[in-house]
Amino acid sequence: MNSTHIEIKNEAVQRRRCRLLLAGMLILLFAVVLLSFYIGYYPLSPSQVIKAFLSRFGYEGEILPQAVTIFWSIRLPRILSAVFIGASLSVAGSTYQGMFRNPLVSPDILGVSSGASLGAAFAILNGASNWVVQISAFAGGVTAVAATYLISRKSAHSHTLSLVLTGSMIMSLCNAGVTMIKYVADPNDVLQQITFWLMGSLTKTDMDAFKWSAVPMVVGLALIFIFRWQINLLTLDEEEAKSLGINIRRYRMIFIIASTLLSAASVCLGGLIGWVGLMIPHLARALVGVDYGRLIPASAMLGAGYLVLMDDIARSVLSMELPLGVVTSIMGAPFFIYLIIKRKERV
Amino acid sequence: MLLELNEVCGGYGNGDIVKGVSCSADHGNVLCLVGPNGCGKTTLFRLILGSIPISSGSIIIDGKDTKSLSSKELAHLIAYIPQYHSPIFAYTVLDVVIMGRASHFSAFETPKTADREAAFAALEKVNALHLANKKYTALSGGQRQLILIARAICQSAKVFVMDEPAANLDYANHQLLMEVIADLAKRGYCIVMSTHSPEHPFSVGSKVLLMKAGSVAGFGPPKEIITSQNLQSVYDIEMDVVTIHDRYDMERTICLPVKDPAVNRLSKLV
Repeated sequence: MNSTHIEIKNEAVQRRRCRLLLAGMLILLFAVVLLSFYIGYYPLSPSQVIKAFLSRFGYEGEILPQAVTIFWSIRLPRILSAVFIGASLSVAGSTYQGMFRNPLVSPDILGVSSGASLGAAFAILNGASNWVVQISAFAGGVTAVAATYLISRKSAHSHTLSLVLTGSMIMSLCNAGVTMIKYVADPNDVLQQITFWLMGSLTKTDMDAFKWSAVPMVVGLALIFIFRWQINLLTLDEEEAKSLGINIRRYRMIFIIASTLLSAASVCLGGLIGWVGLMIPHLARALVGVDYGRLIPASAMLGAGYLVLMDDIARSVLSMELPLGVVTSIMGAPFFIYLIIKRKERV
Repeated sequence: MLLELNEVCGGYGNGDIVKGVSCSADHGNVLCLVGPNGCGKTTLFRLILGSIPISSGSIIIDGKDTKSLSSKELAHLIAYIPQYHSPIFAYTVLDVVIMGRASHFSAFETPKTADREAAFAALEKVNALHLANKKYTALSGGQRQLILIARAICQSAKVFVMDEPAANLDYANHQLLMEVIADLAKRGYCIVMSTHSPEHPFSVGSKVLLMKAGSVAGFGPPKEIITSQNLQSVYDIEMDVVTIHDRYDMERTICLPVKDPAVNRLSKLV
């Protein structure tokens, strides 16, 4: 074969361009993360931030004790949480959009967020402590998806269709439960807590909560990253994918488990943060194309950077802190409308 | 024989739809499946591709019983070429063709240089290398069909299964596709295709499997099987099979549905 053919050269050029883009995204993500340490209620100067960082590594010079506390106990866990939640929701969204062959699917399609909300609301109603609420949210999310998956297997419809149908049923059941709990909750105390939790916020994140949530997130991200190219095959018709020699049901199960870990851990760490998982995959596709080999890393980095940025806005725009879920919706909706109208090509 | 079906039966759980089909095809053969809607062509395809299990009988490809093969091993022997489709995401042509390599590398990997080279080579074989970086979704139906053929070549299967490859194509693309299929056969591939046109076997086919209600109504060379009498028994309408010579003095056979002007068949329907 003539390897100097123009299209072969073009393809190599495009591949290099994508690699550069991915590298650029990584640099951008680091820049956003670094800048975020300066942003917040208590202003820190660049030198204070650097000194506070070095204080853990044997730096003995003069330094404000508040700066150390703010850096290590408040801003670092918060920024890390934003990085991981952003990456998790975007990667789960990308995966589900491919798996369900629908670019308008978000990570909660199988009921993970609703299940997690129900778990959290139930725990708050019973006066549970913060970490019990988080465990309950995680368990609720996982249970909802497991129920969806097991019920859908009994259906005679095509597997993806029955998953979506069962998912919407489980979702509405969980939402009814949340509404019921809100209805009976004490409006002066418990109801407020539930409402605040459901809004989505990173205000209460600390290093311990982050560490616990990071475990399922890392597992989920690693699973999807390892098998990412195979998601391409799931976008095909089931029969066609099978004829290419892959076990489509096994992959579907792997990706559902991984995405559920990602979404459930995200919800339990930061509450309901909408739009990220729906929007970022589109942005990533516009930049690096639809091949999942590149789309998954691009989604992870863009999602992480985006959520850190949104959290910066949430904690700096007004004197009081805005709920992160509200900020992502306010910023996300217009951007998404822009994408739908502006992009002529099919996403 | 490359592909052998021995008394194959199978269906979807509640009774067999395909009832004891035997036939065979070798390298360079185009086996055409002809028969009315619901005669079991698609079910037979699914059985051959292994997407539904056979209830009795056996399918032997290249000397191996398909029941003993993993889906990966099966993918190295037999490829499915669906009717051209519109995927949800705008993959490039190269992305689509590389998907044919799925059974060639481990699930932990992404395609390597060798896979890309195989994809380029496959595209070159169907004269579509110039489309490599185009969006698959932006191509015409005929071009997409060609890309799916390249994907099957890239899969390095020996038997290609095509479900009504010409069904949605316009006249010119239809002719082009038939030439591509004939060329694939010349290169040694074995093509199994279903068709609604009983004339197809004459232009590209080396063998015909005529099916009716899940059973074989005839198997052999087109000239012996596609006869006025056989078609009439399968389709239940009167057909003339006419052989003519075209302007290049090539022998052509066409099938014409005919009807007795004295009989109004519509009145029978009501």
